[in-house]
Amino acid sequence: MLQFLANGFCKGAVIALVALGFGLIYTTTRVFHIAHAAIYVLGAYALYAAMIWLKLPLPVAVGFGILVAVIAGMLVDWSVYQPLAKRSASSAVVLISSLGVLIVFENLIALGFGNQTQILRAGVERTVSIGSIILTQVQISQAIVGITLTGTFLLFLKHTRTGQLCRAISDDETLASVLGVRVNRIRLLAFGLGSAFAAIGSMLVALDVGMDPHVGFSVVLTAAVACIIGGLRNFLAPAAGGVLLGLTQSLVVWRTSAKWEEAVTFGILIFFLIFRRQGLFGVARRAEETA
Amino acid sequence: MNYLYHILIMICLYATLAQSLNLVVGYGGLLSLSHAAFYGLGAYIGSLLMMQAHWPFLLSLVTAVVTVSVLAWLVSIPAIRLHGDFFVLATLGFQVIVFAILYNWVDVTRGPYGIPGVPKPSVFGHSVTSPPAFLALAAVVALLCCGVLWLLLSSPFGRTLQAVREDEIAAASLGKDVNAFKRSAFAWAGAVAAVPGVLFATYSSYIDPTSFGLEESIFILCILIIGGAGNFRGPIIGAVVLVLLPEGLRFLRIPDSIAANLRQILYGLALVLMMRLRPQGIAGKYAFD
Repeated sequence: MLQFLANGFCKGAVIALVALGFGLIYTTTRVFHIAHAAIYVLGAYALYAAMIWLKLPLPVAVGFGILVAVIAGMLVDWSVYQPLAKRSASSAVVLISSLGVLIVFENLIALGFGNQTQILRAGVERTVSIGSIILTQVQISQAIVGITLTGTFLLFLKHTRTGQLCRAISDDETLASVLGVRVNRIRLLAFGLGSAFAAIGSMLVALDVGMDPHVGFSVVLTAAVACIIGGLRNFLAPAAGGVLLGLTQSLVVWRTSAKWEEAVTFGILIFFLIFRRQGLFGVARRAEETA
Repeated sequence: MNYLYHILIMICLYATLAQSLNLVVGYGGLLSLSHAAFYGLGAYIGSLLMMQAHWPFLLSLVTAVVTVSVLAWLVSIPAIRLHGDFFVLATLGFQVIVFAILYNWVDVTRGPYGIPGVPKPSVFGHSVTSPPAFLALAAVVALLCCGVLWLLLSSPFGRTLQAVREDEIAAASLGKDVNAFKRSAFAWAGAVAAVPGVLFATYSSYIDPTSFGLEESIFILCILIIGGAGNFRGPIIGAVVLVLLPEGLRFLRIPDSIAANLRQILYGLALVLMMRLRPQGIAGKYAFD
């Protein structure tokens, strides 16, 4: 039991990272960024390329992975979403474009690296036991990185000017731009930061279990669910939602089997959408306000 | 020659599917990613009735259509309370759950092994086995389905549905029960989507869950979006273009190992470019705005 909770927490920490990025992008720019999945996968493959092809040491390779993801995320916003935002296209148009971007990236990566699963580490992981719980080193770093980054992110939003601007844009983009905020610059920043979070999450998973080009979609859907059950319009709620989902998924695996994981995630989502749309920490709003 | 029949049969099936999705997405303005779920439920219910209960083809078909229609109606009740991105996410959730059930409920669906040996359809005592005969059946069924949708759309129901899409509050203020119209659109779309499901099962005589996953939902949506939503010609044009496109790639002698990925890349690019340059699709009227 404790073992499963611990596994679930580590898993949840990764979901929380991806969800924080997704949530930051969604709350700031109102883009339902399905292509976040592409960035997620890209981060892991950049790490793979840096480690296996270029034979770079791990820290440099991780930096390279983050850099690639950040650049790709910003490019997607600049080339795809910003023109649509300028035309004030509907959210459906943006969502469909995002889906298209994901399909393109995913298959480009599959062309470059093959469709099969790539493993980054060979051999048995070193493990650490705490009481009756046994965790691998990667799992422990998942938990630590997850908690640290979430904390840093909170400080960033509360206490830096850029963080405040993100919150301002999320509140009212038109008003912010009238007051002289360079909305597009903040957008790019949100995308860059969000993409970095996705890349860090994906690299932590890739080091643990490897990756294939098609894992991104289900991870980002889980992250989106985490955002919603945590409560949108709240930058930190996705982290709580992520940990909650990680724990639940782990319990599902324990009680039944891994194959129902996704169905349960979406079951939870539908439950929340019907009974508590504002999420755990959200505040209910009138329909006109959430449009 | 059989190759040509195969392509034409696929065009008929996908045109019907996209046309039924058009009712929800194009005329109802509800972006849904769960159409492959209805398609797959139709295929599974039809096949299981024919194989386990030994029901005749037509009776199984009708039962599958009615069952899927009721299911679609039930799903729409919670879903339409949501708007925009959340609605899409809810339909996506339904798609994922249906896939998980088809894949994991091994006792009934045989899960990943799929159902082999689905019998060929027999209509009024004639067994439809040869490809040209099947094409005739698929074409007649596609025409019938499109006919039903056409009647539906030119009736007051269709007009009101479009009014709801354009301005929900205005429609409501004229005394229309907005949500009831959306639910009916879903039920009709589910009913029509089940038909190509049953046909596909009997045509390929083997079904497994991977034919009805999220990728398939996205593909059907691609057909509709590229062809043009909210217009009767759109889905048909889209089905022709998107079914022929991979066949065209085949003639370019692209190796199989990359052809599948390349095809996906083309679909993805088409979606992005369409949304940027022509959100209403090739022949569409409705631009998702």
